[in-house]
Amino acid sequence: MEVLREARCGSEDRSDALVAVRPGPGLRIEVSSKTGPMFAERIREVVEEVLGRYGVAEAEVEVREQGAYDHVIAARLEGALYRAGGGGEAFHRPLEPATPRQGTPRDRLRRTRLYVPGNNARLLAFCDTFGPDCLLLDLEDAVPPEEKDAARFLVRQVLATLEFGDTELWVRINPLDRGGEEDLRVVLGGRPHGVCLPKAETPVEITRLAGLLYELEGRYGLPWRVWVMPIIESPKGVAQAAEIAQASERVVCLAFGAEDYTREVGCSRDWEALLWARSQLVAAAKAAGVQASDTVYAALEDEAGLREEVRRAKALGFDGKGVIHPLQIGPVHEEFAPTPEEVRWAKGVVQAAAEAQAQGKGAATYEGKMVDRPVLERAKRLLALAKVMKLEVGDAS
Amino acid sequence: MPLNAAGQDIPETVAGRPLRPFQGAFATVPQGRKYGGPLKTCRPGANKVVPSLEEAIRNSGLSDGMTISFHHSFRNGDLLVLKVVEICDRLGIRDLRLYPTALFPCHEGLIPYIEKDVVTRIEGSMNGPVGAFVSQGGKLAEPAVLRSHGGRWRAAECGEVVIDVAFIAAPCSDPHGNANGLFGSNPCGPISFSVIDSWVAEHVIVVTDSLVPYPAIPPEIEQGYVDQVALVDRVGDPTGIVSGTLRVTRSPTQLRIARLAVDAVLAAGLVREGMGFQAGAGGISLAATDFLAREMKRHGVKAAFAIGGVTRFLVDMLREGLVEVILDGQAFDPESITSLREDTRHQIITPGFYADYNSLGCATYMLDFAFLGGTEVDLEFNVNVNTHSDGQLLHGIGGHQDVAAGAKVTVITIPTIRGRIPTIRERVTTVTTPGEVVDLVVTERGVAVNPRRPELAEDLRRAGLPVKSLEELRAEAERLVGEGKSPLFGDEVVAVIQWRDGTVIDVVRKVEGWA
Repeated sequence: MEVLREARCGSEDRSDALVAVRPGPGLRIEVSSKTGPMFAERIREVVEEVLGRYGVAEAEVEVREQGAYDHVIAARLEGALYRAGGGGEAFHRPLEPATPRQGTPRDRLRRTRLYVPGNNARLLAFCDTFGPDCLLLDLEDAVPPEEKDAARFLVRQVLATLEFGDTELWVRINPLDRGGEEDLRVVLGGRPHGVCLPKAETPVEITRLAGLLYELEGRYGLPWRVWVMPIIESPKGVAQAAEIAQASERVVCLAFGAEDYTREVGCSRDWEALLWARSQLVAAAKAAGVQASDTVYAALEDEAGLREEVRRAKALGFDGKGVIHPLQIGPVHEEFAPTPEEVRWAKGVVQAAAEAQAQGKGAATYEGKMVDRPVLERAKRLLALAKVMKLEVGDAS
Repeated sequence: MPLNAAGQDIPETVAGRPLRPFQGAFATVPQGRKYGGPLKTCRPGANKVVPSLEEAIRNSGLSDGMTISFHHSFRNGDLLVLKVVEICDRLGIRDLRLYPTALFPCHEGLIPYIEKDVVTRIEGSMNGPVGAFVSQGGKLAEPAVLRSHGGRWRAAECGEVVIDVAFIAAPCSDPHGNANGLFGSNPCGPISFSVIDSWVAEHVIVVTDSLVPYPAIPPEIEQGYVDQVALVDRVGDPTGIVSGTLRVTRSPTQLRIARLAVDAVLAAGLVREGMGFQAGAGGISLAATDFLAREMKRHGVKAAFAIGGVTRFLVDMLREGLVEVILDGQAFDPESITSLREDTRHQIITPGFYADYNSLGCATYMLDFAFLGGTEVDLEFNVNVNTHSDGQLLHGIGGHQDVAAGAKVTVITIPTIRGRIPTIRERVTTVTTPGEVVDLVVTERGVAVNPRRPELAEDLRRAGLPVKSLEELRAEAERLVGEGKSPLFGDEVVAVIQWRDGTVIDVVRKVEGWA
């Protein structure tokens, strides 16, 4: 590609880099690093690699970095090139994956979905170590309109470079007709496991998203089917939740977003006011055989309040909750764990059912109550959950 | 050049003086007797109070080439060091050797006096600009000497450093020279760093802005060792004692490291009734203290004692009954000073009580575990506290060596990447604390266990903690940022890093380039 005009991308914040590109003649790279001469050469190599990948032969590149990692510098350079040349197909190619990654089962644990702003290099720097069930790199609300392009490249680099262990990787894209489609074309090149669609209101949006995913998976050679998590955050969305959940096989979870819902309905953001929407959403999800994930808890300092809300959400049937700080992950995971009493009950039920079957009895009872199929299945699911969470279950499972 | 027991090249002499190479954490057998100051007397009715610091300096006989000492209890709010040096300059005194416990960024104003030879030697920790200045080499007549808290006490106690005039900033003093840091208009917490100075110096000047009627209690500094009490307008700025943040960090990385560190000591079975621990005032340490307090409550466990740097977090634990006794050598916020005044379970200790190698008891030897930091760790578990990876000398040792040597389990908490510099190196730039006294290295990416402690590794694995080798942690970080170039050091030694027993564990050389 050709650098047509001067452009810059990034910032001089900690862990970030500000990259400027200008039209040639010739190739000139200037690096100023917070660490002095320690990494200047390495940064130059990163720049040359990216320029090579985009076939840029003539440009003046200036990098001012404040402790940015290699992949951040690469992303900022991609952003600057994008702005300097007007985009094009070159920006839609998948990145070489740095580490192997597997697809994820549709019913895996999704107790937490952690939102991380997609254009914040400092917060993204260690996002591979936070350990939520789902990491959600956000291109939507957390990114101002003029930085959407920069965030796409940063998110793609983060996805392609870091190794996330057991964490499932999600990107919250923008609504499809407001940049979401371009989001997909870039970030799918980083191999996420799933895509969150904000403000989902109709099943049509989901089928359109599914179609795009199908096309891009093939083109980028993605070895798994990309999951979809619609975020229901409007009264219209709540009203259509069942249809949305059933719109595609790719939907694995419905997420609730209370902020916009509260605003549109004009209700308060307390438990009672949102109870109907929550219940509706859980029922719609379960009717489609998918999970339900509750809205975020905004009061960061209030761990007791967070735990209380998780207990209530769990009681309604939610499988997970949105979190906005890694500090919230531990408490949420703990609250979703089966209690010792639940585990004891589940073990008793499973055992009673096994004995009844061995004796050829049709119906089992446990503690004076009949154990029918739904009860047995609930008990089995609890034990499976306890096992995944490494709780002491014994041999009954 | 011979390698010492930490594997470092140590020159045989520096500035004409032979260096004893480090032989191992507890290898040195002390010889000889304690050093003492001169015998003196005074008569009833003697007046020690002088109206100005300048007059006190004139009276002391301070002259060219002498050694003057200070404590750092005001930390970044110290006013005394610069005041004394400025008066000495005015009096035409040159070639002074400073023996402070530590210098801080507030002492940047020393640099001009180093340039005009008022100060030509420094033996003490240097945090910030003075250290950076010294790193450039050729500025001091002799390389700086850095010692731990225990090491500084030892050097004065055995006469390795002879103090000519001790200046003791005292927030509260009586006319006879009994002094403490708890009362007066500008309290700074314990001033017990200076106790050894008062015992051994040729001349002792207590400097105060709050003269109280006899007797000032508690007498941290005792009348029997004090020659003069000099009056100043303001002895120090107590707002400067506040170290780092006053609230627990929100940084996800720091929180994760703190959480893992606490999980590690839990898994090792160290969180138990009657334990002793030390936690500092850095971001990770404060967060770890916070997590630890919660776990202690949950398990119904009380600590017999905790050692500070004391902050209100530790004071809260004392008040809640989670800790029976605080041993306090340094206060990091006003709440801990209040607690020192009001609570007899909160005790001042001297660096001698805390950590003196040449002694028959150290508080640090009673620690079950301690959380410490560092700028770098290497594959041998050596820790660098003093220099950055670019070779700049920017930090003092503090109690790092003393605590690491003493605690049953020493936990180094460190992010694998700072800025974009990987902290786990093949070899640290400077060895401050040798790997033989370091047990765990806790990072955001996992915990490394010193192979000398296989039973610890077993405990941690059984608890499901992410145990990794330092090699693995290093590789994970370097995949993201590379290794970076290393500084090329010349021959010129700018600083000597002593082990707490007085042997030399490493030297800092001047940076000449990059490789």
